[in-house]
Amino acid sequence: MSDAATAVLVVEDEPQIRRFVCNALRDDQCQALEAGTATGGLEIVAREPVHLVILDLGLPDRDGISFIRDLRNWSAVPILVLSARSAEQDKIEALDTGADDYLTKPFGVGELRARVRALLRRQQQRVDAGAVHVFGDVAVDLSRRIVTRAGAEVHLTQREYHLLAVMVANTGRVMTQRYLMNQVWGPGHSQDSHYLRVYVGRLRQKLEADPTQPHYILTETGIGYRFQP
Amino acid sequence: MFFEPKPKSFRPVAHYALAMAVCVLTTAATLPLRSLLDLANIVMLFLLTVFLVATRLGRGPAVMAAFLSVALFDFFFVPPHLSFDVADVQYLVTFAVMLAVGLFTAHLASRLGERTEQALQSARETQDLYEVACEMAGALSLDQVSDTARRFLAGHDIDASILIAAGDGKLNMPVNGDHRLGSIEHSFAQSAYRRNEIVEADSLAGTGIAVAFFPLRAPNSVRGILAITPRTDDTTMLRASRQAIEAIASLVALAIERLHYAEAARRADLQIADERLRTSILSSLSHDLRTPLTTLVGLADSLAQMPPGHTADTAETAAIIRDQARAMYRLISNLLDMARLKGEKTPLRCEWQTFEEIVGSSLRLMTAAMGSRPVALDLPMNLPLLYFDAVLMERVLVNLLENAIKYSPDGTPIELAAHIEADALRVSVCNAGVGFPPDSLDQIFEMFVRGRDESNLPGVGLGLAICKAIVTAHGGDIRAKNRPGGCCVCFTLPLGTPPPIEEDAT
Repeated sequence: MSDAATAVLVVEDEPQIRRFVCNALRDDQCQALEAGTATGGLEIVAREPVHLVILDLGLPDRDGISFIRDLRNWSAVPILVLSARSAEQDKIEALDTGADDYLTKPFGVGELRARVRALLRRQQQRVDAGAVHVFGDVAVDLSRRIVTRAGAEVHLTQREYHLLAVMVANTGRVMTQRYLMNQVWGPGHSQDSHYLRVYVGRLRQKLEADPTQPHYILTETGIGYRFQP
Repeated sequence: MFFEPKPKSFRPVAHYALAMAVCVLTTAATLPLRSLLDLANIVMLFLLTVFLVATRLGRGPAVMAAFLSVALFDFFFVPPHLSFDVADVQYLVTFAVMLAVGLFTAHLASRLGERTEQALQSARETQDLYEVACEMAGALSLDQVSDTARRFLAGHDIDASILIAAGDGKLNMPVNGDHRLGSIEHSFAQSAYRRNEIVEADSLAGTGIAVAFFPLRAPNSVRGILAITPRTDDTTMLRASRQAIEAIASLVALAIERLHYAEAARRADLQIADERLRTSILSSLSHDLRTPLTTLVGLADSLAQMPPGHTADTAETAAIIRDQARAMYRLISNLLDMARLKGEKTPLRCEWQTFEEIVGSSLRLMTAAMGSRPVALDLPMNLPLLYFDAVLMERVLVNLLENAIKYSPDGTPIELAAHIEADALRVSVCNAGVGFPPDSLDQIFEMFVRGRDESNLPGVGLGLAICKAIVTAHGGDIRAKNRPGGCCVCFTLPLGTPPPIEEDAT
């Protein structure tokens, strides 16, 4: 799917993990660049065009968070973070600092590829933000602010629509609670995360076939949400 | 020098004898000069004698010396000599003035002496108390504090015992005391402690039991009781030492409080270090175990994806390796989670949220394990928001679903139901398996206990123990029960008062 010019940088200190991640990328016709340290990784991004960075949060020479902060100062390249289970706070911090998605160790090649593709696709689609987004039997027309389900218009409140629009605009990324609260309710509402829960529940009831087992608006427990058309 | 009993400062008989001797000596020394000196000057010599006696020997001997001087002066010096007769009546005035001046001098001089003596004694006392204070400030144990206090009070002819207050309002037996307190003494001490007042029983003085009980008042609380046993039956002695005893009681109280807080601080330090060590061991252990397993899962999965040149058989083997490595990872995670949950305090990241959401995400995580099994969901619409830690609650549901699948035949349905019951949400996960052994329904929540000893199904019996730890931390409870054709695990999650939601414009 990706052309040969798609370059992915893998910053990971464990050579064996780096090896199978790079192999999987090469199987997908990506050019895999490797770095064992944060400093080495930053040097590569500065020197060569890179379309995606896969970053292990536990690097020997530097904190992964400070790597992201540094990189975000001058580059918008998507970042996929590798992290351990039971390290939710690290993931949230990485995402709030500017990472786009995360994978929890241990992960399979299939999961890895799916995330990489989603992030690369997202990068290519960023240009046409005004299009009609379709998922399942739902169509979201961002330019006309109209949402239909199976052809019939669905009534959404302003907040519900706003929330849906933010989610659609962030397809393929993980959105932390804080990010969504900031985007939809504005800063200063980080203590009111129950609003987010309630509104996500309402969106699911209006748009999902089975609101309890959603297919599109997915919960990333302890972290936030993911919109997956 | 330190805490020595003070020498008795007056031995009366000797002093009177000495005073008499001095007067006689003055007479003897002056007699040869009788013809040379004027009588007025001889009076002066006698007054000097009285003055010296008063300063050196105290009031009583000085008064005696004044009278004796007048008598000796009259007998030996006033004509006619060697007779108390007085030839000239004007000498009566001399006698009166001499007596008056003598008595007055005696009074003034002796009072000065007493004042000096008092000042010296109080300086000594202050010095002693200062040294006691220094010693107590450096004391490292209650024994040292008690020894110092007892040594000081021994200087006042007093035996002392220190009773330390235990946490429950009771008093412990004396620290390091050679004097065992009887039950009467103990009840006096208890009452002094309870009322935080000095209790005295003077009538018991001299019987060898404690007669005064001083509360050890420290800034923050009463730390115990100082029980005082005089060695003599002289209660005035006790009264004289009262200030010293009170001073000692407050020094002891401060020292005990200082030791108490030092001990508390040391324990807190230890606990912090302990917790830090535990966390660092857990995190390095989990990192070291996770890395090779991540590699194993990833590499096996690469092979299972059937790269060119591999057969379906190889791919299947690789898939098994991958799944087993994942299973091992789950076991290790369970062990580490349990270790973390069993720590001093489980940090919960609670938020108000919908229970429905956790059900959805748990079912999504279990999709692969669930296979084609039907899931019967019984979840009422519009459940109230609940206050819980989403990550941990998801663990509970995942563990229960995992168990329900593992211990029931393939293809049979799994039920997940939740409903409000009194002041809690009651959640149950049921399967159509053979159920739990009826006699061990409670034990299955203990660590490393499994439903069936003979079972060859994987697992180390930590799943339910983790569930229990999490549910308990949330203030709920968890139980297992068998029912016809299956079994259930039910847990509760307390309802709270959810924060209000302000509706926005349509």
